[in-house]
Amino acid sequence: MAATNEVICDAGPLIHLDELSALDLLADFSAVFVPQEVWAEVEHHRPEALLCAEVSLSRITVQVAADPAFDTLVHTLSLGAGEQAAIRLARQRSTAMLLTDDAAARLAAEGLGLRVHGTLGILIRAVRRGQRTPQDVIELLQSLPNRSSLHIRTDLLSGIANQLRTEYGLSETSSGG
Amino acid sequence: MGTTDTTSIQAHIPIRLLAEGEALVKAGWFRDLDDLFIEALRRYLDSHRPELTERFLQQDVDWGLHGGD
Repeated sequence: MAATNEVICDAGPLIHLDELSALDLLADFSAVFVPQEVWAEVEHHRPEALLCAEVSLSRITVQVAADPAFDTLVHTLSLGAGEQAAIRLARQRSTAMLLTDDAAARLAAEGLGLRVHGTLGILIRAVRRGQRTPQDVIELLQSLPNRSSLHIRTDLLSGIANQLRTEYGLSETSSGG
Repeated sequence: MGTTDTTSIQAHIPIRLLAEGEALVKAGWFRDLDDLFIEALRRYLDSHRPELTERFLQQDVDWGLHGGD
C-alpha cells in the first residue's frame, strides 16, 4: 500500500502527545487534519494541545454523506462524534493515516480497511524518523503512567521498552538513567 | 438492573467532569449520577477488551519500529 504523509487525528493522540510534550512528533507529516468535532473535543478537554507552535493543525469540516452501513457500525460500537468524524474523513482521504487511541474506533477503522495507528506508534516512530533518541522514547514510555491519560499496563510498557533496547542495541543499564 | 449486586466506591474525579455529569442528570438524561457512572463504565469496558488493546499496541510497536512512513 502506498505510504502517505497525511494524518487525520482523533482527540486521544492530540491530548496524549501534548501531555508528553511530544506534539512536535506530528510535524514531519505533510498535513495533520483535525475534524471540527475532534477540534471541539480537544478544545474542551485540553485546549493547549491546539496551540502547539511546532505543528500546524488543519481544522476541517467533514462532509457527511448518507451511509446506513457506516451509521450502523458506529452506533454498534458507540463511537462518539469525534471518532465518527475522524473515520469519515479517513474514508474520504483513503491514503491518509488515522490516528486514534480509542480501541472501538480503531476496530471500526480496521474493519473498514483504513490505515490506523495510535500515540504509541507515533512515539516509537520518532526514533526511526530521527526525531528522538531511543533513550528519549524509553524515558517517555516510562513516564507515561504519571504524565499521560493514555492507560497502558506497566508490564506491557516495560516489554515495549525492552523491544526498543533490543532493536537499537541498548543494554538495560545504559538506558536506565 | 434491580437484581444486580452493587457496592459503593469512593473516587477522586475532576470537578469539571462531575459538573458535566450533574448537568446531564439535571437535564433528565440520567436518573442520577449512579446511573451515569454505570453507563460510562459499561461503555468503556465494552470497547476496551484487553486482548484487542494489546494487539493494537503491538501493531503500533511494529509500525513504529519498521514502518515505511
